[in-house]
Amino acid sequence: MKQHNLGTVVGFEFLRVVTKRRFWVAALAIPVVLAAVFSLVFISSSSTDNASQAQKRAQFTFTYSDGSGLVTAAVAAQFGGMKATDGDKAVADVKSGTVDAYFAYPADPATQPVQVYGVDRGIFENGKYDAVARQILVTGAQQKIGSPELTTMAQGDVKVTALTYKDGQVSGGLDTVIPPLLFLVVFYLSIVMLGNQMLNSTLEEKENRVTEMILTTMNPTTLIVGKVISLFLVGLVQMLTFAVPVVVGYVFFRSNLNLPDVDLSHLVLEPQPMVVGFLLLVGGFVLFTGTLVAIGAMVPTVKEAGTYFAPLMIMIFVPFYVVSVIVSDPHAVIVQVFTYFPYTASVTAMLRNGFGTLTLAESGIVILELFGLGFVALRLAVYLFRYGSIEYSKKLSLSSVLGRRRRV
Amino acid sequence: MAEPLVHIRNFRMDFGNQTVIRDLSFDVGAGETFGFLGSNGSGKTTTLRALLGIYQPTAGVLHIGGKVFEPRDGARLGYLPEERGLYKKESVLDVMVYFGRLKGLSRDAAAAWSRTYLERVALADKATTRLDKLSGGQQQKIQLGVTIMNAPELLILDEPTQGFDPVNRRLLMDIIEEQKRAGATVIMVTHQMDEVERLCDRVVLLKDGAAEAYGTVEDVQDQYGGTVIRVSCTGALPASDLFDVISTQDGSAVLAPRAGADAAQILHELVANRVTVRSFTPVRTSLEEIFLRIYGSQNDRVGA
Repeated sequence: MKQHNLGTVVGFEFLRVVTKRRFWVAALAIPVVLAAVFSLVFISSSSTDNASQAQKRAQFTFTYSDGSGLVTAAVAAQFGGMKATDGDKAVADVKSGTVDAYFAYPADPATQPVQVYGVDRGIFENGKYDAVARQILVTGAQQKIGSPELTTMAQGDVKVTALTYKDGQVSGGLDTVIPPLLFLVVFYLSIVMLGNQMLNSTLEEKENRVTEMILTTMNPTTLIVGKVISLFLVGLVQMLTFAVPVVVGYVFFRSNLNLPDVDLSHLVLEPQPMVVGFLLLVGGFVLFTGTLVAIGAMVPTVKEAGTYFAPLMIMIFVPFYVVSVIVSDPHAVIVQVFTYFPYTASVTAMLRNGFGTLTLAESGIVILELFGLGFVALRLAVYLFRYGSIEYSKKLSLSSVLGRRRRV
Repeated sequence: MAEPLVHIRNFRMDFGNQTVIRDLSFDVGAGETFGFLGSNGSGKTTTLRALLGIYQPTAGVLHIGGKVFEPRDGARLGYLPEERGLYKKESVLDVMVYFGRLKGLSRDAAAAWSRTYLERVALADKATTRLDKLSGGQQQKIQLGVTIMNAPELLILDEPTQGFDPVNRRLLMDIIEEQKRAGATVIMVTHQMDEVERLCDRVVLLKDGAAEAYGTVEDVQDQYGGTVIRVSCTGALPASDLFDVISTQDGSAVLAPRAGADAAQILHELVANRVTVRSFTPVRTSLEEIFLRIYGSQNDRVGA
């Protein structure tokens, strides 16, 4: 009946979460908010770009003086400008509002600033003077060079193809870094979104006084494992809820949505980092789940559980405080400590795995550590639930529970 | 008695330095209805939890069906704990079907049984209602349904009438009697002594961590005086070597004859001491009176 009960627990625990309206509200809230933010960013950047282009094309009356010889009368005329005869008079004309602006180009624009005088049209519209002054100089310089290729190079717009080798083989560079780091993203999302559910999964039995009914009906291991599996499935549903709109948008509506043209075919899926990344993800998930479930079995209320939840959550963010050291100096003491300390190990090791600084031996040790301690945490969770959750309103003393003799 | 279904020998339970059960032994035969009695804090719930493997006993043997209880035997058990509750945010039917499945029923069988039971306890219209939307008494009915839905061989009820009004208490007792007639062994913890006298074949009374009295209801009644005398009278009851005064109230008294004394001697003594006796009725000692006699002097009346 054990197998049957496991399926029953998984089904019950999974369905009771995903059939609740609040689950979908929470699950859809993040993609909806992200979509809204991206839409606003897109609209804003479009309008900013349009405004910038409009400023460059803005037509207004201006005069100019040129000490560099780069500005030709023809280019200035395109923008509606006339050469000034006297700088002081030109400034006076701007002050009186006779002309909108006056640009004074220095002899060496590379080292000296272009002086721009203009009639105040408000903070945002005043930008048109600067934009047009620059554009006139750039157009003049391009005409001076006389070659589109040289102009492109002068602007630093040069393509470089880098080829690097690792162990005698061409390495994929940044394209190999991204795929294994996706496991880190999945890890964060799953722990942040499911952490509270993990914590509450056994607390619910205590708070609802269901413990005795459960303990006399099924093995607590079955209950805990069933809950962990259902949490995993719930996490999967949440990931799909996030991923499906992104994938659909990318595949079918890329041009309509003006999504960045990211060529995913360049990404390189190297077997070792991918396998290590996956194992680190699962190991980390097991360790955090076991720990949170054990905490849930130990404390009497959700409020008390929060005291333990916060430090555990901090653990997964702490490695990001030293992320530059993790990436640049993997042998630093702090990186080594974070690599092997159980609750920072998964994040640190996943980062190092992504950036290719985690050796196979280190990977093996960390994976074994995560799975081993995860298993111990789950066993402890079962034990605490089995012998401790009957203390409905008291916080358990770990030593008193563990100190109990085996049944005679 | 047939092979006992429940067998407890020399059970001892310590919590730290505190001994809750000192040395307890009793058996419950298959098909029996057994009353497990004791004052609050005497260790009844602790004993049941140890019997069901929820607590680890400090010492002793606690067997069900010849072996230590394992959760996989739960399909044969119906347990209504003292601390009870169900998944409050789920619907009545979902919770009942879930526990039915855990107890080995198919989904359809569990759903069909649950609907029939809900009809019987007048909660058919609450099948899709969340449990926390029901009253306490309604939740108790659901809990009882979950307890008996697998037609258990052994039914353990820890204060089953707690939270029930008199009408629902009657319904509960009817259901327990049905289970008994269907062949279930019933162990019942209760403070309702009239229910014990009506339903139970045998009882054990727990005091100071050991069995104070154990046997059939009649055995226990005999052991604790057998017969008492209800007297309606005026005048002060005299101190006497022939009887003890169990209780007095508004011109009535309950007297327990001492060993060797008979009713006629007692009546003679009362009259001789100028007590005006209006009625004088020898009756068998009720369990409630025995309970009062055993636990009346105890001050410790908190906890379970």
